[in-house]
Amino acid sequence: MRSNLPLCLLAGIILPASLPAAAPAPLGAFLESHCHECHDADVRKGDLDLTALAMDFNHPETFARWVKVFDRVQSGEMPPAKKARPPQQEMEGAQHWLREQLLTADRTRLQNLSRTGVRRLTRSEYENTVRDLFDMPGIALAGELPADGSAHGFDKNSDALDISHVNLAKYLEAADHTLDLAIATRPEPPTVQKRRISLANRGGFVAHIIMNGDGVLLKDKKPDPDFPPAGEQAHLDQGAHERMGSFTNGSSVGLFRHEDESVSPYFMEHVTIYPGLYRLRTSLWSFQWDKGVVLPAPGTGAARLSVVQLTGDGRGGQHPSYVLGYYDAPSMDSQVHELTTWLNHNEIIGFNPASLAPVAIYSRKGRAMAFTGPGIAVDWLEVEGPIHSQWPPAAHQVLFDNLPLTEWLPAEHDGQRAPARKKIRQIGAGMNRPDADKGLWTVSSKNPLRDADRLLARFLPKAFRRPVEPEVCQEYLARVEARLQAGDSFEAAMRYAYQAALCSPDFVYLLEPPGPLDDFAIASRLSYFLWNSRPDERLQELASKGQLRRPEVLREEVERLIQSPRFQRFVEDFTGQWLKLRSIAANDPDKKLYPEFSTYLQDSMVGETRSYFHELIKSNLDAGHLVKSDFAMLNQKLATHYGIPGVTGTQMRKVPLPADCPRGGFLTQAAILKITANGTTTSPVPRGAFVMARLMGQPPDPPPPNTPAVEPDVRGASTIREQLDKHRHDSSCASCHARIDPPGFALEAFDVIGGFRSRYRSIVEGDNAPRGGIDPLIGISFKLGPAVDASGQLPDGRKFQDIREFQSLLASQKELLLRNLAQQLAIYATGRDVAFSDRPALEQIVQRTQNQGGGLRTLLHELVQSPLFQIR
Amino acid sequence: MKAFVHLLVCALTTTLMLSGGPLRADEATPTFKHRVTGLFSPDREQDLRSVLEQLPGITLQSLDYAHAEAVFQYDPAVVFKGTKPEDIVKRFDEKIRTASSSTFGIQSLYPAPHDKLQPVEIAVVGLDCKACSLAAYEAVAKIEGVAQATASFREGKVTALIDPARTNQAALEEALKKKQVSLPSTSKP
Repeated sequence: MRSNLPLCLLAGIILPASLPAAAPAPLGAFLESHCHECHDADVRKGDLDLTALAMDFNHPETFARWVKVFDRVQSGEMPPAKKARPPQQEMEGAQHWLREQLLTADRTRLQNLSRTGVRRLTRSEYENTVRDLFDMPGIALAGELPADGSAHGFDKNSDALDISHVNLAKYLEAADHTLDLAIATRPEPPTVQKRRISLANRGGFVAHIIMNGDGVLLKDKKPDPDFPPAGEQAHLDQGAHERMGSFTNGSSVGLFRHEDESVSPYFMEHVTIYPGLYRLRTSLWSFQWDKGVVLPAPGTGAARLSVVQLTGDGRGGQHPSYVLGYYDAPSMDSQVHELTTWLNHNEIIGFNPASLAPVAIYSRKGRAMAFTGPGIAVDWLEVEGPIHSQWPPAAHQVLFDNLPLTEWLPAEHDGQRAPARKKIRQIGAGMNRPDADKGLWTVSSKNPLRDADRLLARFLPKAFRRPVEPEVCQEYLARVEARLQAGDSFEAAMRYAYQAALCSPDFVYLLEPPGPLDDFAIASRLSYFLWNSRPDERLQELASKGQLRRPEVLREEVERLIQSPRFQRFVEDFTGQWLKLRSIAANDPDKKLYPEFSTYLQDSMVGETRSYFHELIKSNLDAGHLVKSDFAMLNQKLATHYGIPGVTGTQMRKVPLPADCPRGGFLTQAAILKITANGTTTSPVPRGAFVMARLMGQPPDPPPPNTPAVEPDVRGASTIREQLDKHRHDSSCASCHARIDPPGFALEAFDVIGGFRSRYRSIVEGDNAPRGGIDPLIGISFKLGPAVDASGQLPDGRKFQDIREFQSLLASQKELLLRNLAQQLAIYATGRDVAFSDRPALEQIVQRTQNQGGGLRTLLHELVQSPLFQIR
Repeated sequence: MKAFVHLLVCALTTTLMLSGGPLRADEATPTFKHRVTGLFSPDREQDLRSVLEQLPGITLQSLDYAHAEAVFQYDPAVVFKGTKPEDIVKRFDEKIRTASSSTFGIQSLYPAPHDKLQPVEIAVVGLDCKACSLAAYEAVAKIEGVAQATASFREGKVTALIDPARTNQAALEEALKKKQVSLPSTSKP
């Protein structure tokens, strides 16, 4: 008895696996005839024994294995091409039976579940929501919130969006910061200050480097006669030059050196005191410097403006917080650029002469007087602001409507605490100054509780994105009343309630009813899908009228959202995750192998992929364009990198591709090629896996445990293909690599920064490399090693010789590409994975899209109109 | 007649200054002689006049560039109201530094007579830049025992009148080197 019990338990555990329920006809016969030869207990090819795989579709792991079997058979991959094809009727019968079993099991599993879990806003959604709710389009919140997780490829999934006490603490801080900025505390707007400032500021680093030859001062497009370029001798004593006014005499600053680890130019004489909108104007031009002489530049240069958050001591944040844009600097012709942007407290404007080669003249013999090369000149930067179109600002009116601002006189508020104010502290070398203190001003109410009731009833539905029940409003009102009774001012009491609202589940979570979504839930789902933010007034109005579920209304709204500038948020957020653009800076390319790489090139890469995706939607192009097209979205930097002539300037534009050009589609875009490489070498395996998972919707299985990585040989002695060949001939690896490697082989035509190549670069062995399109000022030390072989064979037997042939093969599978994109969009839009039982709905989206020409904008419409989108 | 009167005033002024007291060109506004720092090249006289335009009530009567001494006319009771007589030079220095971004300063006259000072000339190499000249000038002018100095990279020299009892040429050269000024090996003693 003692010995029998464990045996019984063991039998119970292994029974389902060792004694599977027999597969019923017609699947059983099919498996017996076409599968068991390779997938039985003896052979177990691909580690799969179908004779032992239980017909237990309720068991998640078993279910998943049967789904995989189904997919392999349906795609035609199995039975393999070298085996005899099963009769069509037999094949269809087996597939149909298995499909129905899987559908039934999955529907049963999900029938009592809300498919999309309750999920909180991602940090970018939170930030955008606050920005739009309060009309504060640049308030920075996301960076202070904990990073979001990711599930099924996106951070919008409830599986990934947990919440902890850290989140809650950060939400409190974010709400506090939001209300600090939103609430007006002065009777009139801050004085608009307009100041034209030089890049060579007093005490600034730019002045230091131009004194040592990394730049020059220029007047009338010539060297400033009062500030000769540094030569054998550098200028002495920056302080003496500052006191003599060398940097404040209206000279332009010409730089020869772009931003690097040691140099971060800023315009330091504006340090933002009052957050708000600011108008920035700057005047830029480029030139060719020849040992003291200013000559026309060979082409249009580029400069980057960015926003830099000063650190607490005012010394600068080194790297830009975010990029405002890249701007043209025409040869010898000052061009004025203007933009309006939001600046936060202590933010300054950074500058990078981005198109320059990485040169440092600072410590070279002869300095600027021995240098010949391009320069970027900035005449000035003009900062004007803060600009308020109304006062109190819109954000304040969201909270307090039209209640008056009055001065707080203690004598009039006996027993009340004055509202708290944070002292304005100015750091850094800003010449702008805070306004004189106008006393303590605050919003006032003659009937606080009645006003509080009115204001909350107005604010809460906006914040919670749906009607709010009276009892909920009463809860918030009770908080206000309690605070007033405790001695708070009206502003402080209201602030308490508003802070609670901004941290409440109604605000932080996307709350959807089970089953079909109501109008308000659709408004939110649609808005967070296409704007990554809260629904605007029109969407809420349509929802309140019950019109949003009408297909024609929904279609109009989708179009409206796509046309809006806010749609760019979707483009950036979706491509950031689907195509992993967020990882673009995960590694820095090896400087010896890829000396031409720069941040300007990297930013252009990202710009290309985003612009291209936007163009596919805007022009409603079909899914074949995901991998092949006759145009690209390029600027001068990227066009030069791709070897495409005739593109001038920093802005992305649609460029027709030459007939023999190996570019077109995401596959050949430098951003994708950089993201799928490691900075030093490329490998067909991660690149192939990326193509399968992200574009084909066939993510490969993870490698078996203890599989060693293939280390590419940067010495140039062997190619990655030669190294992989050994691996691919191992029978346990061959089946997966037959699917993964071909796309990766095709992409071997591109290096780690997306440059086209016919030979690998190497550090040690090989021939001297020609300069090609690389800037003459960039030193080249790499060699050209073995030739690239970008040919391959798809699992279905089709062969390709190069990337162009591979693109054509893949582009012919439009339905596959469209289905995958539909699935990625569905996951992103609904915040959940696409289950097996969702496949019919997904298929319907694909078919309806194809019936209308297969355009990607059509796909967005069909997804929004589908039950997948409209049912929780 | 006009020239005669001017000569008379100058002679009277010089006589009174040598005695260390204030000079009175007329009964209403007295004149004072001070040492001026920042006069490292002849064109600095014009800079000084521009700076003084920002200081109402003070006018430059005459300038002895060779000794960095100038005669100013001002009424201390008006311009430096409430300032003790012994603090007037200090207050004047503060005013002119503020107005000139600290490129000029005012000091009491150097205690040693001119004929006890020794001229020094040091050859220097550098950029033909006024601010660089200021930097080189300041490197030597601040040394104790230097009564007056000039600097010109255009002419390639730094000159000084030094009190040999308190400093020497080597000390000046050392200060210039410390300031990163290049010295060729041909400095004149």
